[in-house]
Amino acid sequence: MIEKFFNPNSVAIVGASPKPGKVGNVILANFKKRFRGRIYPVNPKHEEIMGLKCYPSIKDLPETPDLVVIAIPAPKVPRVLRDAGEKGVKATIIITGGFRETGTEEGKRLEEEIVKISREYGIRILGPNCLGIYDNWSGVDTFFLPDEKMMRPPKGKISFISQSGAFASALLDWMAYRNIGISRAISYGNKIDVDDVDLLDFLANDDKTGLIIMYLEGLKPGRGRLFIEKAKEVVQKKPIVIYKAGKTGRGSTAAASHTAALAGNYSIYKAAIKQAGLIEAMSFDEIMDLSKILLTQPLMKGRKVYVVTDAGGVGVMLTDALTTEGFLLPRSPADLKEGLRKVLPPHCIVENPIDLTGDTDDDRYKVVLDILLPRHDVDAVVVGALPQVPGITSKLADYLAEARKYGKPIIAISIGSKEAEKFKDLLEDKGIPVFESPERAARALRALYLYSKIRGVARE
Amino acid sequence: MVEPREIILNALKEERRKLLEHEALELIKAYGAPIADAGLAKTPEEAGALAEKMGFPVVLKIVSPDISHKSDVGGVIVGVNSKEEAIEAAKNIIENVSRNVPSARITGILVQKMARKGLEIIIGGLRDNIFGPVVMFGLGGIFVEVLKDVSFRVAPISYEDAYEMMKEIKSAKLLEGYRGQPPVDKKAIADIIIAVAKLLEENPEVDSVDLNPVIAYPDGAVVVDARVILKQ
Repeated sequence: MIEKFFNPNSVAIVGASPKPGKVGNVILANFKKRFRGRIYPVNPKHEEIMGLKCYPSIKDLPETPDLVVIAIPAPKVPRVLRDAGEKGVKATIIITGGFRETGTEEGKRLEEEIVKISREYGIRILGPNCLGIYDNWSGVDTFFLPDEKMMRPPKGKISFISQSGAFASALLDWMAYRNIGISRAISYGNKIDVDDVDLLDFLANDDKTGLIIMYLEGLKPGRGRLFIEKAKEVVQKKPIVIYKAGKTGRGSTAAASHTAALAGNYSIYKAAIKQAGLIEAMSFDEIMDLSKILLTQPLMKGRKVYVVTDAGGVGVMLTDALTTEGFLLPRSPADLKEGLRKVLPPHCIVENPIDLTGDTDDDRYKVVLDILLPRHDVDAVVVGALPQVPGITSKLADYLAEARKYGKPIIAISIGSKEAEKFKDLLEDKGIPVFESPERAARALRALYLYSKIRGVARE
Repeated sequence: MVEPREIILNALKEERRKLLEHEALELIKAYGAPIADAGLAKTPEEAGALAEKMGFPVVLKIVSPDISHKSDVGGVIVGVNSKEEAIEAAKNIIENVSRNVPSARITGILVQKMARKGLEIIIGGLRDNIFGPVVMFGLGGIFVEVLKDVSFRVAPISYEDAYEMMKEIKSAKLLEGYRGQPPVDKKAIADIIIAVAKLLEENPEVDSVDLNPVIAYPDGAVVVDARVILKQ
């Protein structure tokens, strides 16, 4: 049922407009650019818009469209929705604001009316008061921000569910600029009907989605337990990274019991997030840090991490950061030390963190990784590769990419200016996530470990 | 044994939002949580007899639908060591309460066996409008009052969840025993957390539960004070 929102064969856009800057103008232009199905502009004031025949109402369309996008003032929405119902429409996105979110009696009344109409006709509604859907595969794009204001990201495996439309568009723009791919993005606004549970259900079985990011302020009353159950199912197939906004909201002010007074809104969400097996991002930076490691790296079996670096200081920083996040940095066992000594110059440090020192070249990394990664007592490797060192070239990126064949997580730290950025892009293109600080790398790896536990791959 | 439904329905019939102390203890006991032995006395003489039967020391507490902070009105006397003391204490409590809150209806006096010393914990539950029944665990005293060091889970929960709740609080190490004390009985604590979850699941009229304190020992745990609030 939800499928039609993402993969319609035909779309009607109510409120389509030839006037630049109008919401209905941007949306129609978006569809014209990328959507390959049939497009029907609906607006009684026009006969034709952007070369497409325009219809006075939904009732006049030559077929029942799979999806109706509504972008007209709130008071007119109920009538249009009724027309859609009469026509047999089953999926609508209501972009329009001016409903319950206004806090006015009129807004509340209008929202209740559209809920009633949708039930009467069995129409599913996304919204109102939302940006709707950006689908990189079908070309459904109701984000009413023109390309020159919001860049569209390339195709990718990340899907994004957002309670905030503004944050959704900002994140998409941010991802596009950094060439991070997206599959589908959804902003559901007031979620009077389609909500987090429905969307997770759809994305769970969507082979175009490898990871889900959620920006959540709050679930609908009574949906919490179902959300946990659904999420539990989904995370066995793909990870969900969640950012819970509104952590500092007051708890129940006039709480009658001690327990109620202690239960701020966030503490219960925190428990639910844990129970559902979601990975919680605690900051904006973490949303992407966690997503990129979870999307690219294999699960890890244990907590034993080895660090390979060309800078002793970074090795120490990484040791602190990783230990703080609960990882073990075992001392190199005798046989490992012996093996490393055979292939490395005598001034290199073979103790974990392994220091290849500032005169290293790419090949030292390669031989060390080939020794480390096949070992059963190595669960992941963190590579510190400061590009200021003269011996490091783009060949190192190839070596690291090659080492993915061992099926263990490999992540990297790169700190610096242009060279560091270039090296980062190179590595990330090859599926090795790069972090700018030891702390961020350690927290990302911690998320991967947590997810590995949720999937039953890692044990305590 | 009183039927749990009966306790709740009776309170609702009397339009009480809060269960009386002995009702709350009975209710939690009906769900399998061990409680510090307690009984309701209607007169000072009954209090004396109950105390003697129970064994000393005991604590006496006023039971009234109109009083929630019992100590503030002279409604609690601890460390009562004989039948005579118990009768005297009961009389004093009635006198204190009648003087401090003349309008309060007095249901009776709760006579309760004083629990031996152990680790004070708090176990709670509430009905959240998004998640439904939720349970809480924490250490008593400053840990909950000042540090708000508690953990939550959405019901239903497994034993594994209950053990995780105990591990999750910052002061978890205290459960392992300190200064040569043996660790507390985590299974007994888990039993009570699960009992609270079940109580909330099975009784939609219950809005929240506070078991504060529960005293945990190396061998078992016992609920000393229970507060159960019903929905408005």
